[in-house]
Amino acid sequence: MSLRYLSRQSLQALFTIVMIVLLNFVLFRMMPGSPERILFRNPNLTQEALAAIRERWGLDQPLFPDQFFAYIVATLQGDLGDSYKFIGQPVIEVISERFWPTMILLGLGEMIAVVVGLALGSYTGWRRGGLVDRVGNGFSLVFYSMPYFVIGMPLIIIFATGLGWFPTSGMFTLGATYDSFLDQLLDFLHHLVLPLITVSIGLIGGYSILMRSSIVETRSEDYIGTARAKGLTDARILRHHAFPNALLPVVTLIAINLGYVVAGAITAEVVFNWPGLGTLTVDALNARDYPVLQGVFLFLGISVVLANLAADVVYGFLDPRVRR
Amino acid sequence: MTAPALTRRELRGARMRLRVRNVRDFVRRFARRTDGVFGVLVLLFFGILALAPSVFVGPLETVTTATGQSFEPPSPAHLFGTDHLGRDMLNLTVHGARISMFIGLLATVITILLGAVVGIASGFIGGRWDSVMMRITDFFLVIPTFVLAIILAPIILDLVGTGAELFGIRATLLVIVVVIGLTSWAATARIIRSQTLSVRERMFVDRARVIGGGGPHIMRRHILPNVVNLIVANTVLTFAGAIFTETTLSFIGLGDPFQPSWGQLLNAAQSSGAPGLGAWWCIVPPAACVVLVILAFTLVGNALDDILNPKQAGRR
Repeated sequence: MSLRYLSRQSLQALFTIVMIVLLNFVLFRMMPGSPERILFRNPNLTQEALAAIRERWGLDQPLFPDQFFAYIVATLQGDLGDSYKFIGQPVIEVISERFWPTMILLGLGEMIAVVVGLALGSYTGWRRGGLVDRVGNGFSLVFYSMPYFVIGMPLIIIFATGLGWFPTSGMFTLGATYDSFLDQLLDFLHHLVLPLITVSIGLIGGYSILMRSSIVETRSEDYIGTARAKGLTDARILRHHAFPNALLPVVTLIAINLGYVVAGAITAEVVFNWPGLGTLTVDALNARDYPVLQGVFLFLGISVVLANLAADVVYGFLDPRVRR
Repeated sequence: MTAPALTRRELRGARMRLRVRNVRDFVRRFARRTDGVFGVLVLLFFGILALAPSVFVGPLETVTTATGQSFEPPSPAHLFGTDHLGRDMLNLTVHGARISMFIGLLATVITILLGAVVGIASGFIGGRWDSVMMRITDFFLVIPTFVLAIILAPIILDLVGTGAELFGIRATLLVIVVVIGLTSWAATARIIRSQTLSVRERMFVDRARVIGGGGPHIMRRHILPNVVNLIVANTVLTFAGAIFTETTLSFIGLGDPFQPSWGQLLNAAQSSGAPGLGAWWCIVPPAACVVLVILAFTLVGNALDDILNPKQAGRR
């Protein structure tokens, strides 16, 4: 992979992150009334605390350059202000507490969806027009049309409320004490099943549709005809000739779609009351906890950009034309 | 001997015939797509419900005019059962069609307008303006716009207040419309721009420039007609996305309880504990409608894209 490709992608990511930080500043100043009004809504704040806040955000200084640079410096130090709802807790702490539940749910869901979605998509695309394609692609389209909570709510009714196989909400049984780490892990996994199925189903449709159209396009390439002429088996052509080539454009699209994946996780978490960033976002929304909302936007935005950059690097390794 | 010049009337007649032939050709090709036709039928059904919901199920039931008890399962009196407030689910679902489809329509219009203007202007003008606009577009493509929508909605809502109303739509819903528009135009802009770039290089654009046509004139009269097919296909797909986003935003609590869309109904079901009570009838009707409508728009959009998109044309 050339250094030029790498530095160009990094520069672009950096630019996007700078834009996210700027947008966050503008949003903060756009809030109704002054930010001061909202920051000072808490009656328990002492005069010293007020003075400290004013000092930190430079609120008695002009918007530009003083307030702006105060904001930039604070953000660079990881200081995103304090939550209104969880009084006295810095935003960064609130967010980092909720990070792992979301990461586990999203990471596993994304992995399952990529594997199943790409397999389903390449198989249906390879058999385009056949019965397998019609049924498989039909399912993909229906899954693709389902918001996550529309998948999750019926799952709760059938498998949690109805059959009682899985718990309806949360990440651990409330008030439970565990004899060993294994017990705790089992309880966690038990709670994880339904949310994980929800996230996976929500993502499979999109990936399968992408992969299918990419395979369909690859199928008419000359090298597929060559492989056929060599007498290779159908399965071998799909696995070694069509699939790797069809994968390339899909990798980029998967990376671009990460922003949407995050959105889906939010509603899936709400349905199952999974204590991750999604429920945090919605709780903060209902409490109008702006510092937390903006912190979440900043955090998720930067995460998505970095994940995108990682995908670009992977793409550079996969595609020999870029590698040079 | 020179061929006699066409009179104005003959020219107009020839144009008309060409247009009729194009339309007929299009209808014939679309009719062959069973998935597209299925989508159109579903959308017609919901479109009719949305136009006059009161004709089918009477006025929207509220807490005070509720006709049943809390969480009644489906019965002859209430075909779809009742919700936690005793409101008839059939009544709510049919009225939800009107609100969901209307919000989706308005949000789509804003999205497409923004996307088309940015796409055409950016592709046609080119140069520095183009690279600046495309950086902004890429920014909106990459960031989690849904999270941005969640932050923007309460801020705008606090700015305009919840009391305002426009065309009988309450401010809460209008804010959703604006927020969807502001956060989802980027994909459209990208597609329109790439098509504009190829149209711009065609001969008739140069001719228009030679006879003194200005930028705005060329964009309107020469570029727009050549990208309009793409805009149509994209509009239908955007509609699916808009309803998806509206449903999701309403579900997490940004909807309006007084003008319930399908997403708002699902939000009410979730917050009243319907899933835990096993009250499936509060969830299945709005959920099924959402999925059907999004699916229908996607099918129609895909069919249109295959027929109208010049890049797809040779592939079938």
